[in-house]
Amino acid sequence: MADPTLLSAACAALETAINGALRYDPGSRYALARLAGKVLAVELTQPSLTLYLEPQSDRIRVAGHFEGEVTTRLRGSPPAMLSLLRSDRLNLAGSGVEVFGSTGTLEQLQQIIRNLEIDWEQALTEMTGDLAGHQGAEALRGVGNWLSGRQQTFERLLGEYLTEELSTTPARAELEHFYREVDELRLAADRLEARLAKNNSAPAPRDND
Amino acid sequence: MPDHNSRSTDHSSATGEPQDGTTHFGFQRVKKEEKASKVAGVFHSVAARYDVMNDLMSGGIHRLWKRFTVEVAAVRPGQKVLDIAGGTGDLSIAFSRLVGAEGQVVLADINESMLRVGRDKLIDQGVVSNVQFLQTDAQALPFADNSFDCITIAFGLRNVTDKDRALASMHRILKPGGRLLVLEFSKPRSNLLSRLYDTYSFSVLPRMGQLVANDADSYRYLAESIRMHPDQDTLLAMMEEAGFSGCEYFNLTGGIVALHKGIKS
Ligand SMILES: C[S@@+](CC[C@H](N)C(=O)[O-])C[C@H]1O[C@@H](n2cnc3c(N)ncnc32)[C@H](O)[C@@H]1O
Repeated sequence: MADPTLLSAACAALETAINGALRYDPGSRYALARLAGKVLAVELTQPSLTLYLEPQSDRIRVAGHFEGEVTTRLRGSPPAMLSLLRSDRLNLAGSGVEVFGSTGTLEQLQQIIRNLEIDWEQALTEMTGDLAGHQGAEALRGVGNWLSGRQQTFERLLGEYLTEELSTTPARAELEHFYREVDELRLAADRLEARLAKNNSAPAPRDND
Repeated sequence: MPDHNSRSTDHSSATGEPQDGTTHFGFQRVKKEEKASKVAGVFHSVAARYDVMNDLMSGGIHRLWKRFTVEVAAVRPGQKVLDIAGGTGDLSIAFSRLVGAEGQVVLADINESMLRVGRDKLIDQGVVSNVQFLQTDAQALPFADNSFDCITIAFGLRNVTDKDRALASMHRILKPGGRLLVLEFSKPRSNLLSRLYDTYSFSVLPRMGQLVANDADSYRYLAESIRMHPDQDTLLAMMEEAGFSGCEYFNLTGGIVALHKGIKS
């Protein structure tokens, strides 16, 4: 099982993509509202993970953990899901996707999502690629990536804050100094990792003290 | 778990609490009655910059930890939720949407400054009608027995002086079938990860705290208090001791953080 943090990241990405597109599409929002309370489970094989799509009054919620009754459950590989999602008419026979439960709900939801302007291929590749890459890998690798991806994340987050949330802007010099610190952190972590790797592979040198 | 076991030679309880009337404040020992005011000092001091520091320190990942917590809470429309040690209200905001107009969320915290920042944030986001704000101590929750469907405490339990008492208090006010979720720093599962993380939290966190919030000491306390907090299995045992059943935990980000879940039967 992937670290729930990664699954949450995938859900958050998907949710943001769909809701972002919904924001400019009142017609689809209206259609979606009528599905509120229904739950669609999308069970992907390879990587094996299940996402739950829950339409709400004006947005959709995407979750990796759900307790309760599912209206419709789909099971299939990511490419099979993708072509089903994009087909004009919902045609399940030969699609490679198994369906359990109400197909009516599925049909309505598929119509809504298909009409949204989202680059699905890219969204899905990014999402599942991320997860597949992490699955079975050591937790450490995730953290290594996490550390090296930090600076970008910092800059993006700070950018968001500066435009949206913070009214007091930290002085530019303060920020630049901060980024340098983050860089140093990364270097220090790399050095530490290299040292530890060396210690693990070679017999430890004797200390004098 | 108090030291009832006569075979035990350790003079600490399962939580590593010393038995001489002192308790941990980060790595220091302070008198039990002093810890609360020291913790209060820390949070008065960080309140204004708490949210931005959270994002910076975790690279935004705390949002994913909280997101997962909300999923496991499985809160439904019409339910009553208590977010204790709720601080700046991230979980409360999510719960407010989920319980809807018929439901109710109580955002509670012992610290006035944190609560004020939280209340302002919720008002700014238009989340108010079903949320109540309450200044109170997790160790003595002022609610009737069997009041809530769900209680969450995120990154709060390690700051509480008497954790067993707090867990018992939460158990009392949950409805039968209700669930408690404890989101808290925990013990990384690999040694390497643990060492990397130590470097990060002891050398970098306080410096970040100094730069962004001008407050290295508070962030040093945060790093130290994380280290002194009970690990996954110890906390699980404490929850069982407090009366919770079906207890389980999820390791998040390699065990840097764990989400514990318990049900009142
Ligand atoms: C690290 S913050 C977490 C805030 C929020 N839950 C979050 O996850 O962002 C810890 C909070 O615990 C509160 N706290 C500390 N001791 C407490 C106690 N005994 N009872 C209630 N809240 C307490 C602090 O005031 C602070 O707001």
